[in-house]
Amino acid sequence: MKTRRIPEGFWWTLPSIVVLVALSIYPLVYAVRLAFGDLGNFTRLAGDHVFGTAALQTIAFTAVALAAEFVLGLALALLVDSLTRFRSFFRAGLLVPMLLPPVVAAVAWRLIFNPQFGVLNGTLRQIGFNTAALTWTNGQNSALLSVIIVDIWEWTPFLFLLLSAGLQAIPPEPIEAARIDGAGPWRIFRDVTLPLLKSTILLALLLRGMDLVRIFDQIFILTQGGPGTATETVSLYIYRTAFRFSNFGYAATMSFVLLAATMLFSRGLMRVMRAR
Amino acid sequence: MKAAVRYIAASAALLIALAPVYWLLTISLKREVDQFAYPPQWIGFAATLQHYRDAFGSGSFGSYFANSVILAAMSTAAALAIGVPAAYGLSRFEWARSWDLKIGDWILSTRMLPPIVTIVPLFLMLREARLLNSLIGLAIVYTGFNLPFVVWMMRGFFDEIPREIEEAAMLDGESRVGSLLRIILPLVKPGLAATAVFCLVVAWNEFLFALILTQTDSSMTLPVGIASRVTQYEIKWGAMSAAGVVAMLPVLVFASAAQKYLVRGLSLGAVKG
Repeated sequence: MKTRRIPEGFWWTLPSIVVLVALSIYPLVYAVRLAFGDLGNFTRLAGDHVFGTAALQTIAFTAVALAAEFVLGLALALLVDSLTRFRSFFRAGLLVPMLLPPVVAAVAWRLIFNPQFGVLNGTLRQIGFNTAALTWTNGQNSALLSVIIVDIWEWTPFLFLLLSAGLQAIPPEPIEAARIDGAGPWRIFRDVTLPLLKSTILLALLLRGMDLVRIFDQIFILTQGGPGTATETVSLYIYRTAFRFSNFGYAATMSFVLLAATMLFSRGLMRVMRAR
Repeated sequence: MKAAVRYIAASAALLIALAPVYWLLTISLKREVDQFAYPPQWIGFAATLQHYRDAFGSGSFGSYFANSVILAAMSTAAALAIGVPAAYGLSRFEWARSWDLKIGDWILSTRMLPPIVTIVPLFLMLREARLLNSLIGLAIVYTGFNLPFVVWMMRGFFDEIPREIEEAAMLDGESRVGSLLRIILPLVKPGLAATAVFCLVVAWNEFLFALILTQTDSSMTLPVGIASRVTQYEIKWGAMSAAGVVAMLPVLVFASAAQKYLVRGLSLGAVKG
């Protein structure tokens, strides 16, 4: 008779599985139970204008920041890759914003953005601009754009880093062959480099996109979601619902919706990683 | 000529990347009258260390700093102690029906959970266990946070070491655990160090969990301490900038030490909490 033997490797893995079940799966089940414990939360969600605003702004924030960070990150990666000297110097320096504690980065930008005494308006005034209308994070209409600018500053380096690594991994032969065939730089970029970079691009977009959807730290420090609800995002609204108004059930319902949204991202990510 | 344009463009990008950091540094070193002077003073101001004394001498930032150090060290040690054996198990043993891949994917997928989803249950669980406002409670959460990352990074490093090496050692009478500790771990030491650095940085930078789980002055971490000052009505910019500079220094030092592994680490979602 054959007994089913538990593989030895399983015992090595068991402590990790136990910890992750306790700290990740159990809380997830708990959250789902909280979310569905009172189905009235879902009806409330459907009619909640603040949630609607937060969701739309989160989507806008994610879309604009992701597009800008990708284009700038790719441009920087190509630029630095084309340098012959000081390449690692530029690379190291350009990564700094992403490494800072997000709280510290946000504090720096509060010093920069302040309309009265901030260095940004100060410098613009110095070179002759009228900055009276430039209220940055304090303005109802400019606040969302301002926090997007901070995110672009902070996280373009992430796209830059991944895309640089992708560029370096491309073998030189296909590009050489295209050049011999008489292709110009733009054709080479579009028809050779970009297709070879595809999986890196996908991975970078998914990783950054997942983080953008859950954006919290920088906005919490910069605007706290204000003025009014101008920079309210889903994460901030969940935070406030749970920890300012102690409505844990409703917060869980909203986080469940957020989870469903990010699951679409991570599903795709898994597939990409498998394919590699 | 064309090369010159490229260097100018790259320098401009570098300037934009570093100017905000530099400005924070100058604010932390300026006397209060100069901090918001017009026109802005980029260089040549009278420097003072007064704000650093205010923040870390008389203020509470010294204790926030100590909390952050303890927390990062504890949670990193725990994540490595639990995660390295798992990585070894997934890398080294025969698993039926590719269970190693399934478990590996599942472990990674727990890292993809948005923190805001698990934070409400974790808050309620820690409240139940009376571990709110304690470094132990937050260290437990960070351990769970870093664990998937440790397993994935270390599995990759173990996979790069041929199995024959420890098989030879075990033929010589070395036990499984002995060969891991004495032969394999020394071989993956750079990878282990890089993994530890990433865990330290994640725990050091993390804000959301710390904000919610440590609310008392004695349990706050450095980012939470800084944030609690930003949202006050009257902000002491000098002391806060000084705290910010001190908060970012260890990260920059550690990251430059692990630069080689940055891509591998970041594509698994390190640094950003």
